Amino acid sequence: MSGLSIVVAEGPGKYIHWGVIQISVANLAIIGAMVLLFILALVVPFPTHDDESGDQEGQGR
Amino acid sequence: MTTRAGELRPDATSDPKNWTNRLRGWFEGLVPPGEALPARQPAYVASWIYVFGVLTLTSLVVVIASGCVLALGGVAWWHVSSVGHFFNSIHLWSVELFFGFMVVHLWGKFWMAAWRGKRALTWITGIVLFGISIGTSFTGFLSQSNFSAQWIGAEGKDGINAIGAGAFFNVLNPGQMLLWHVVLLPLGVGLLTLLHIILVRRHGVVPPLDADLEG
Amino acid sequence: MSRDRTPDSHDFPTRRYDLVKEFVIALVVVLVLSGALAAIFSSPDEKPITMSAWAKADPDNLITTAAGELAGTTTSAGYGAPYNTAAEGQKLGPLPLQKLGGVRIPINSADLVLGPLSNVSDNPVVNTALATWKAATPDQQTKWATAYTDAIGTAAADGAPATGAGGEVAKVKPGDYGPVPALSAGLLTLAKTGGLEGALTSSGNFYGGDQTKSLLLLADGAYLEDQAVAQNLAGDQWGMMNEVGNAPGQPWMWLYTFWYQVKPFSTSDNADAEVWGLMMVLTLLLMFLPFIPGLRSIPRWIPIHRLIWRNYYRSTKRA
Repeated sequence: MSGLSIVVAEGPGKYIHWGVIQISVANLAIIGAMVLLFILALVVPFPTHDDESGDQEGQGR
Repeated sequence: MTTRAGELRPDATSDPKNWTNRLRGWFEGLVPPGEALPARQPAYVASWIYVFGVLTLTSLVVVIASGCVLALGGVAWWHVSSVGHFFNSIHLWSVELFFGFMVVHLWGKFWMAAWRGKRALTWITGIVLFGISIGTSFTGFLSQSNFSAQWIGAEGKDGINAIGAGAFFNVLNPGQMLLWHVVLLPLGVGLLTLLHIILVRRHGVVPPLDADLEG
Repeated sequence: MSRDRTPDSHDFPTRRYDLVKEFVIALVVVLVLSGALAAIFSSPDEKPITMSAWAKADPDNLITTAAGELAGTTTSAGYGAPYNTAAEGQKLGPLPLQKLGGVRIPINSADLVLGPLSNVSDNPVVNTALATWKAATPDQQTKWATAYTDAIGTAAADGAPATGAGGEVAKVKPGDYGPVPALSAGLLTLAKTGGLEGALTSSGNFYGGDQTKSLLLLADGAYLEDQAVAQNLAGDQWGMMNEVGNAPGQPWMWLYTFWYQVKPFSTSDNADAEVWGLMMVLTLLLMFLPFIPGLRSIPRWIPIHRLIWRNYYRSTKRA
């Protein structure tokens, strides 16, 4: 099997139980990463280079 | 346009009864001139949230490319070849990335109310794409020819049989599932993605909420 | 939508932008990410459960399952459409959706046992048992098979006491079981040789390609499910989202599988049809959101967009 297989090993996986919710560590990590990415996308400033010349009013095309 | 004898003749390329002209006219009118591959964008497009559409699209490209490599070797190749297994891993992870980026793209578009300004069909095609992608990944898992495929088929059949679809869509038949996975569903994903992107280029990126209230 | 006063996006100030460069950069990012994730975490490939593995790991269960197919008491035997007419199937309210699909994949559960055995030519015990079975009336066949499955019984579980021989074939008391013990043992022997899957799928048509019969027989037994439960893949373990080991599964299935964990679905006989119906409604609501008053206004009420377009709002305020 290729890869270092750090996490994807044989044997039962690690699961987190919370009330009726059961979720694998892998799935939780993916969902957590998505939420983090979403928040970062909202707050991290986007470079706009406002010193560009040539910005113009768009013409209705 | 004049003939060699100098007479005026109606221009063949503008004859409205000509099917080819009509098709070409429709095709050229899909996207405003210059908007298919523009070199400028509205100044309000200034947030990292906007990259998730293209990240979804490029993930789809990698999914399809890695799938093509797997197809080269056939269904059982990845079980016996470490190169094949590596490409299976790329296929799996690019699918996880595809869904991850697509959902963040969906979240962004929801909070932007991006269906405004005649963009309802863009939104609808996006949701349908999400659904077809889930079906494509389902048939993919069924095509793994391993324990997961056995279990997913054994369980999945109950849900699909319960609604009567199991009579036509047999998840226990890898021959059928594989063909849906590599032919029919990717065609659906591809065509709808094309439609979705044409709609985005056609209408442009949706202006900010309450931009209509500005002077 | 008559009050939609969204202006044309082409009427706004623009800035320079390279669409193709953005695409190429995104492609490189995804290629690097996929490659790295693949190299570090690989992908799971747990070998499929063969009939031979089942026969060796849990021979009593295979024999019990074989007898159950002959008795018509297994899950597949009593399934209904698309395999047979033994049950009405699931309904969504008054709609008999499962039955409406029709019996288009006809499977006779007894044939899952009798079919492969009838190809066995070198076992006179099996041949005699087959002849005895075929010569008997359907009532007699059911009587023998039911008596045998009852006699094998089940082990004690979840507070319920053991029945019959507690699931142990060797401890079955003598009784009138006809040819059923010989047929079941014959199937076990065939399974151990590794020839059972082929007998069910490619025998007679050479190419196979449709594993329906093998999977139905395997799923009628307990071994497949036991392996799945051990890996958190069962329906009541949010299994639809999961994969073997520590691999990521299908996290996007979270809402679909959630309903199976809660009432009324967790105790309903029509859970599959009902969950599908509910998810269809929710999907349609999401799809037609632009036309649904109230829901489509949520982005205005919770103004996350003010973060997204903060540059624009700031610059137009200044103007």
